[in-house]
Amino acid sequence: MNRVNPLQIALLLVVVITFLLFKLSSLKEELLEANESYKTSEKLAIDLNSLKSVYASPKKTQKAINRILAQRSLRGANLEIKREKKSIKITTKSIDTAALNSLMGKILNGSYNITLLKIKRLSETKASLVLEIKW
Amino acid sequence: MKFKRSSRVLFVDPSVDTVFSLDKGEKVDLILSPSLYWVKKITIPVKSVREVKKLLPSIFLDSLPEGHYSYSAYKKEDDFIAFAYEDKKILALLAQKGIGLSSIHSIHFAQSEFETLESALEINEMESIYLKDDLLVVVPTVWLKESAPLVLEDKKLSKHTIKLQQFGHIVDNKSFYMIGTILSIFIFILMVEIFLTHSKIDTIESAKDSLFSKYKLQSTMFQNRSTFTKYNNIHTVQTELRAVISYFLSMPLRATQKITLIEYKEKKLIVTISGVIKGQERGIVSKLNAKKVKYKLSFSGQNMKVEVKL
Repeated sequence: MNRVNPLQIALLLVVVITFLLFKLSSLKEELLEANESYKTSEKLAIDLNSLKSVYASPKKTQKAINRILAQRSLRGANLEIKREKKSIKITTKSIDTAALNSLMGKILNGSYNITLLKIKRLSETKASLVLEIKW
Repeated sequence: MKFKRSSRVLFVDPSVDTVFSLDKGEKVDLILSPSLYWVKKITIPVKSVREVKKLLPSIFLDSLPEGHYSYSAYKKEDDFIAFAYEDKKILALLAQKGIGLSSIHSIHFAQSEFETLESALEINEMESIYLKDDLLVVVPTVWLKESAPLVLEDKKLSKHTIKLQQFGHIVDNKSFYMIGTILSIFIFILMVEIFLTHSKIDTIESAKDSLFSKYKLQSTMFQNRSTFTKYNNIHTVQTELRAVISYFLSMPLRATQKITLIEYKEKKLIVTISGVIKGQERGIVSKLNAKKVKYKLSFSGQNMKVEVKL
């Protein structure tokens, strides 16, 4: 008469429940971590994407600079423009302050990676300029 | 062809102090003395034994001393033979007699095994059993004219057996099944929850993978963090450069004071202002102080050089 001990069955069920609770608790932790990791990754991806679209988009940056340089106020400015694969250098020995204001206003209000800038006052109305932008 | 019985038949009587010696692995069939149970012959209009069993606690209610009883019954012709017994007492007696539960092959009531008894049988030195109105009773042997010795060898046993509830006195079957069901339901709920949590983790992981293709990220987060740091540093420096230039352009300069040079190279901004006499600079750089910009001042004649490290 080998009857199964009900206490043993209850104990087994309790052990199974304890194991499952432990497993569930670690899975919940894993879920929390996965969620956090996803949120962090998503934020990083969005931020990186927007930063790259500003500072690592050669075509977009070049197009925007070309549009600035094409404006009427800069036509008589004698700008020397040196285009490289990853940069553009704008130089002038003498530029009218109004044209300089217009150019710098647009450059400084835009999101460009200015790596070199030199504005030297020559007179009340003239200045020299060296400007390098990289992408 | 006669098969030898694989288990020994023992008569369990509380009045006898005999301790049985069983061989290792030996199985025994037990016949319980009438002293170990209460029996009733009942006639009720129900068909099945199962239905009768449900009624037994109320049938025996007034005739049993206080205790925790189990019930059993079998049908005999148009009547039912009903039993009430205490598992705990029987188990204690079996333990006392050296009969382990693992050695028990079957347990029978003497009532079912001797229901065709024609004469009395001696179950111990003082008592005998005999049938009275179809019920087996124990009486002192001296009351009887004659009584034959009890011989159990080659005894053919009926199919009416019982199973003793080891823990019936702690928790009854109904409660046990209820607790078992509740625990099982809880296990089921936990397993479902585990499955759902697993699925959620998988969904999040695949969503994370899709981020890489959606935002054209590099293959590892380490690389992406490194790229982010690079561009974020550029962004911080560029924002600061524009802010600091705007501070200089909005400085309160006198008519004689002019910004003559703005130079930025390798994260260093140098601004030269002419017409500044040493000691007059406090008003000029007040905006830098207000904005908590760290700078270095130097003079060359009336030219003030402000150096800001970004």
